[in-house]
Amino acid sequence: MTIAAALLLGLVFGLLVHDWVTVRGKNRRVLWVETTVFVIGAFFIAFPERATGLAHMVGIQRGVDFLLYPIVIWLVRETLLTRRRHLEDRERMTQLTRALAVLEARAVVPRGVDAGAADAARGG
Amino acid sequence: MSEGLATVAILMPAYEERAALGPTLASLREAARGALDVTVFVVDDGSEPALAIDHDLPRPGFAIVVARHAINLGQGAALETARNLALAGARFDAYVTMDADGQHGADDALALATRVLGGADVVFGDRFGGGSNVPTLRALVLRAARIFEWAATGLFLADAHNGLRAFSRRALERIPIQQNGMAHATEIRQRVARAGLAVVEAPVSVRYSDATLAKGQRTSGAIGILQDLALQYLFGEPGR
Repeated sequence: MTIAAALLLGLVFGLLVHDWVTVRGKNRRVLWVETTVFVIGAFFIAFPERATGLAHMVGIQRGVDFLLYPIVIWLVRETLLTRRRHLEDRERMTQLTRALAVLEARAVVPRGVDAGAADAARGG
Repeated sequence: MSEGLATVAILMPAYEERAALGPTLASLREAARGALDVTVFVVDDGSEPALAIDHDLPRPGFAIVVARHAINLGQGAALETARNLALAGARFDAYVTMDADGQHGADDALALATRVLGGADVVFGDRFGGGSNVPTLRALVLRAARIFEWAATGLFLADAHNGLRAFSRRALERIPIQQNGMAHATEIRQRVARAGLAVVEAPVSVRYSDATLAKGQRTSGAIGILQDLALQYLFGEPGR
């Protein structure tokens, strides 16, 4: 095993331990998904020739490319979808904030003047 | 409203303009006195604490309506809220967008409104024609932005991103603002161009001070504007 592989395995293991320890008392199903993905990743880090073998089976030269292509495609798609969801959420937040602001808009009235009369005077 | 006077709505976003808002409103009141019936729609864009407005400012012929965003959304969002308020109530003869930080002169704002009263649909202020003290770097960026605006909107105007503008009601009704941030200035021009509205430019004087330069739009903000426009192009509703 190379030094790089050992360091990567240490990182994967450390992240898994950190996430299992810090996510307490919450829904841990996502941690099982993360663990599954990390274990598969750790397997290919420890045995890169297995990834290369799989890559050759589908006509890709290097094992790392076999893993990288789908990950990049997934990341690009996820980034775009996340950005769109963020904009949609911001639009909803804007509409809600605006509706409240319009509902509570008021005329500034000089001291001693009835606010309702001032609103009526400006046509509101 | 004052009988016989033309009515003007001022759309004024304001964020943390504690020192400048009062003098800006007072200057508008004095500029309009006896000549125009002015209602200012101030939208406090989430200032903490909320902006306070002097109750001695309103008088016959000069009204102030205040709305407040519970959270800070951006100048474009505040302008759109002011637009909604101004279009919802009484009809005005002209609508003017104006900053609250004291950069824009009340006389210029009302002069733009007068151009609308004379029949114009859209009047954009031109800070380079009115003796403004534009910092050199800002001037260079604005000059370059003209080219971008021309490519993006088809309008080749002397001044890109000037917040001092005036509209007729039929024009304002056709330019809803989707951009919450500073990209709304480009969006407004895009909508004006798409709607086929005739545009005139009028010289205005924009006064930069240390305070407005420290708080206002940064030159580096151009990158954020480009990003917002790109995202709107990618994810916004087609045709809006």
